Amino acid sequence: MLGAHGLTRQYAEVRAVDDVTFEVPAGKMIGFVGGNGAGKTTTMRMLMGVLAPTAGDVSWDGRPVTRADRTRFGYMPEERGLYPKQGVLDQLTYLGRLHGMSQHDAQGRARSLLERFGLGERLKEKVEKLSLGNQQRAQIIAAVLGDPLALILDEPFSGLDPAAVDQMADLLREHTANGVPVLFSSHQLDLVDRLCDGIVVLHKGRVVASGTSEELRGSAPLRYVLSLTADAGWVRGVPGVRVLDLDGATVQLEPETEEVAQRLLTEAVSRGGVREFSRVRPSLSEIYREVAAA
Amino acid sequence: MSTTSPWSLVALRELQVRLTDRNFLLGTGATIVVIIGIFAVQGFLMGGGAPSFTVAVTGEDGATVVAEAREALQETDEEAVLEAVQVADAAAAETALTDESADAALLPVADGWEFVTDGEADSQLQGVVSEAVRSTTLQANAEAVGTSVEDLTAGTVVQNRDISGGDDESRFVVWVAGFAMAMLFYMSAIMFGMAIASSVVEEKQSRIVEILAAAIPVRALLTGKVLGNTVLAFGQMAVMGAVALVGLTFTEYDQYLSTLTQGFLWYIPFFILGFLALACVWAAAGAMASRTEDLQATTMPLTMGLVLVFIVGLSLEGTARVIGSFVPVLSTILMPMRLLDGTAAWWEAALALVLTAVFCLVTIGAGTRLYRRSLLQTSGRVSLKAAWAGGE
Repeated sequence: MLGAHGLTRQYAEVRAVDDVTFEVPAGKMIGFVGGNGAGKTTTMRMLMGVLAPTAGDVSWDGRPVTRADRTRFGYMPEERGLYPKQGVLDQLTYLGRLHGMSQHDAQGRARSLLERFGLGERLKEKVEKLSLGNQQRAQIIAAVLGDPLALILDEPFSGLDPAAVDQMADLLREHTANGVPVLFSSHQLDLVDRLCDGIVVLHKGRVVASGTSEELRGSAPLRYVLSLTADAGWVRGVPGVRVLDLDGATVQLEPETEEVAQRLLTEAVSRGGVREFSRVRPSLSEIYREVAAA
Repeated sequence: MSTTSPWSLVALRELQVRLTDRNFLLGTGATIVVIIGIFAVQGFLMGGGAPSFTVAVTGEDGATVVAEAREALQETDEEAVLEAVQVADAAAAETALTDESADAALLPVADGWEFVTDGEADSQLQGVVSEAVRSTTLQANAEAVGTSVEDLTAGTVVQNRDISGGDDESRFVVWVAGFAMAMLFYMSAIMFGMAIASSVVEEKQSRIVEILAAAIPVRALLTGKVLGNTVLAFGQMAVMGAVALVGLTFTEYDQYLSTLTQGFLWYIPFFILGFLALACVWAAAGAMASRTEDLQATTMPLTMGLVLVFIVGLSLEGTARVIGSFVPVLSTILMPMRLLDGTAAWWEAALALVLTAVFCLVTIGAGTRLYRRSLLQTSGRVSLKAAWAGGE
């Protein structure tokens, strides 16, 4: 389990990250969400030890993280790149060795990952000759190469086509299945929603919400949509119900409690036909907008 | 899992990248060819091998004189050859001269000897033969009057003493060697220093630096880079020095081989420490740039400093030169020169080395600090002040 405890980073006059605390449990994939400048990258850099925190600390398995632990973390920085003039297999092998692998293991693993991502024919190709998408694949391989204890990935999906996103997601799931905690940041909220076991929302350097998507949704206000066969104007008069939007036979409403909602449904049925009565589940982006605006 | 330390992996990569770089190999190869060329031309122009003469004589007396002359000649050059050929008479001797089977003829005449040549006489040959004639005749005359040559010449020996220390030739050789070593240091320091700086900025510009910094300590990255390039600079210097010393044996200056080898061996530690003293500063200059285009600005103080060291090092004289030979980096140029011309004792060299080593520790500390603090600033140039004060 990877933990951030009160991480804070102060630049000259800006507090980029302010008292950020969250955990990435073993085998869980946590999405790190927030707008530009929310402090995601700064936080991830502090988790990796590339940047020293002004205050707070990072823990690994319940104790302070060490240099040796971090050598075995897989990291994909926001500003990414590889040596442009070196062959892709050679430099992945080099990176694997820096992560403590033997020459043989590093080369074998780099080769099999390159083959898996369809780069098997281009092992000797210089990185600068690869397409951007393939460079991105090589970059991902660099992060997972060293049999990582944990994965910290800054925007790993940006620049990938849908097929590559799926490949990547499978790769990450293999790691979580082996108990590796995975933290990744993304602007693609639908993707985060689909992949993640939990979410941490950062806004202006602070954690404004965190939990599983269910938990986050649970905290959202109760909303229903009711669609009738006739005009729904009468709903306005029902006590305990706030109408958000009324359009002929369809109304969006916010009942005070679940009981009020059920009573409303009973009345609707007694007044005539009901086409639809359903709970409105806010999308992650809606929740995000709400917490960010708060 | 292997336990290879990260800095050695970094150093190995530096070596591998440079040793497979065509430009580097071509440049080094070309320089070595030029050095070999200089010595080949020297050997061809100056030496042309040891002198070899044949002198025609008409009798036993002539042959004795020539044998005496050969001994004198071989005292200055033991490979020199001087042969006597017996001919029937003066006419036969002249024939031998015109058909070039003899370089000169030594013929007895009424009041002594005649030294006959076809054209201008070789001054060296004429010198040793005349001297041999004089000494053999003197000996015969001395015996005739009942005394000995030693008695006759007692007290006539004049010994030369040159208070400038060494003759013109040795001063010239020592100066050339000193200049070559100064030049070699200047070129290596700039070339490999620049290699360190651009290798650092390449990692920044390609953005791989954050992956590296996350995987291994920044200090290991710096150490590997500096040591890798120091090994390369030293290797190139050693090869060029060895080629030059071997080349020397093919010229007539080979008598200076032991002096120059000794000077060169002293030069090695000065070279290494002088290079190391600047290496971390070069790395810092690289880290303060964020693109290759910035390098020229951030490395300017270093290149200017080295130009200054080179010019000042070659122009200092007297006391200033002695003082300069203890100033770190400047000492890499001046102390080996002073050792070569014999004006410095070994303890002075050792002291200068210790001073350079201390200076090294200071620059390594400062360079590392600047490097660490500017390495991850990937947007724009980092000013010296900001780099020094900045957090990590």
